[in-house]
Amino acid sequence: MFGALYAAAGSDPAVLIDIAREFSPRIDVCGPREITLDVGGLARLFGAPREIASELRRTAADRGQQVRVAIAGSRTAARLLVRHRAGITIVEPGDDTATLASLPLELLLAVRGSGSSDPDDQDAEICASFRRWGLRTLGEVAALPPADVAARLGQAGVQWQRLARGEDPAPLVPSVPEERFEQALDLEWPIEGLEPLSFVLGRLMEPLSAHLERRDRGAAVLHVRLHLVSKIVHERSLELPAPMRDPRTLRTLVLLDLESHPPLAAIDRVVVAVDPTPARVLQYSLLTRPLPSPEQVSTLMARLNALVGDGRCGSPALVDSWRPGAFAMSPFAPVDEKGGGEGREGREGREGREGGEGGEGRTLVVALRRYRFAVPARVQVENGQPVRVTTERRGITGGRIEKAAGPWRTSGEWWLADGGTDSPWDRDEWDVTVSDGATYRLYRERDANAWFIDGVLD
Amino acid sequence: MAKTALAVLESALRERKLDRTLTTALPPLEQPADACAQTGIDAVDACLRNGVPRGQLSELTGPRSSGCTTLLLRMIAAATQRGELAAIVDTFDRLDVASLAAAGADLSRVLWIRGQAGGPPDWAIDRALKALNLVLQAGGFGLVPIDLADVPARTLRAIPFTTWLRVQRAVEGRDTACLLMSPEPVARSAGGLTLTLTGRTAWTGTAARPRVSGAELKMRVVSPRRRVEGEVALQSYVAAGL
Repeated sequence: MFGALYAAAGSDPAVLIDIAREFSPRIDVCGPREITLDVGGLARLFGAPREIASELRRTAADRGQQVRVAIAGSRTAARLLVRHRAGITIVEPGDDTATLASLPLELLLAVRGSGSSDPDDQDAEICASFRRWGLRTLGEVAALPPADVAARLGQAGVQWQRLARGEDPAPLVPSVPEERFEQALDLEWPIEGLEPLSFVLGRLMEPLSAHLERRDRGAAVLHVRLHLVSKIVHERSLELPAPMRDPRTLRTLVLLDLESHPPLAAIDRVVVAVDPTPARVLQYSLLTRPLPSPEQVSTLMARLNALVGDGRCGSPALVDSWRPGAFAMSPFAPVDEKGGGEGREGREGREGREGGEGGEGRTLVVALRRYRFAVPARVQVENGQPVRVTTERRGITGGRIEKAAGPWRTSGEWWLADGGTDSPWDRDEWDVTVSDGATYRLYRERDANAWFIDGVLD
Repeated sequence: MAKTALAVLESALRERKLDRTLTTALPPLEQPADACAQTGIDAVDACLRNGVPRGQLSELTGPRSSGCTTLLLRMIAAATQRGELAAIVDTFDRLDVASLAAAGADLSRVLWIRGQAGGPPDWAIDRALKALNLVLQAGGFGLVPIDLADVPARTLRAIPFTTWLRVQRAVEGRDTACLLMSPEPVARSAGGLTLTLTGRTAWTGTAARPRVSGAELKMRVVSPRRRVEGEVALQSYVAAGL
């Protein structure tokens, strides 16, 4: 048997849900004021259906809620009755259709609309059709021949007729309460430093991961709140690249983050919460080399960031600019490409090699080793050609220039008035081979007439 | 009794991966294809008998403009084209991304760890070696080179030899080919290769308007245990827009 609660206007939906959950875990929230619940099996606790309904009303009244209660053999019947009759309505099993027969036709609009006040156009049209045919009650709609209703109104008309008989369109799917994935620990003595905190985090992460595993969920965002003795709450949030729930990985990520952003005082209380997301489903291949898991990549990146600094590790990326040496860093997130695993640059590179060096079929492209901060140099020029280069930078010998090619003039971003983050450039580039055989790329800043070593061809 | 003791000793050595370095016979000349990381250059792969061995520390050495970076970027490109991941530990932040893309690498499969261009070399080397260790321990990468090409020879020789033994131990038994690029051989790994390059810049054009067309490279292979020896001549070209 099913029960329906219908609260008066202005009631609190959350309180209504709490009341229903106290009686049954199988509840369906049909709208802000309406809930259906499975009352099967409650007879042993409360007695007959009327006593169950009375107990529901009494509990609601204790919480300041005025509710109507109806109990019937189907959810649809209970919903129709609770909207029509005040107080308590009980229908014995098997009497649903007969009890509903006298109810007005318009009630179906409310049930079809799942509690919304505006029925959709099709339902309004079907209701109008029934009224044009002279039908006023659910009993009259239920008595129509189903084949003729289907012929005139289609499947929607048939569904209306089933509802008019009190038949449920679908089984009850219980509304699952929103779960909080959170663990907290009040410490007897304040702790300082990350080493003791790692033990506390380990103790919190284990049950949190078990909870996530039970619900087949992974953590999308990890929130850590450290209540400090100075009454300040130190909060950190880690957005994870993929859903994960391995307690050791989560603990390591938190610790590595706190290494970079340590709390300013001793810790009184530790709270760890996660934003859950459906867990990953992985399909491994026997034929391709497996990529490291997101947990491994996240941990590695966190360790590397702690070692070399934020923004100094990731995947290189080209940018749409003519600025010499322009590049961008993107997060390292390799994707397991099915059927080849060849990216755009790879394909382009291979296409570029097609028909290359005769015999080998694969061409080597000269690489430039670029000095990220150009090395200031002294260059002797004769007849417009550089003939000697020296620098004070250790490790770069310089010397007499054996051969030089250039100048190649390049400039850009002079149109940006404020200069942006990078300044405009205007320079003449030269490729020079010095006496020790090394080939450097030099350039002369035209504005300042200063020479620099940009890189070495290697 | 003696046989049992010997078996226990061998088992203990095997557990600690000391059996290969002490007692195993030389590896076979013909290695299975997936035991090596191919360089992507047919002539070099043929000379190396399939490429650079996985699970070993190999070396790429040569002076400036000898083509070490050219060959290294080509190997990274070949690894990414096979669908593998590559991580480059760039000690002094020298990588030119346009050159890497021109070599044909899938940039999304490359992890670039950038060191600091300024500052004392010892500090940069220390951090680079720590980063290399982290990457090797994480696993999952097909090729992991570390760029020490701009380290002065004196500083390079001052690095304790045990450092390279530790790197070798970290990579041993994994699917990763670890590559050390330096001006001179320092690691001298027993199972790895040493590729020594020399090069000369190739020029073209007229005497009045010359230009760099590429480089003529020579690669010599030294391998103490794999008995791979040989010399390969290579030609590299300047890509458009570089």
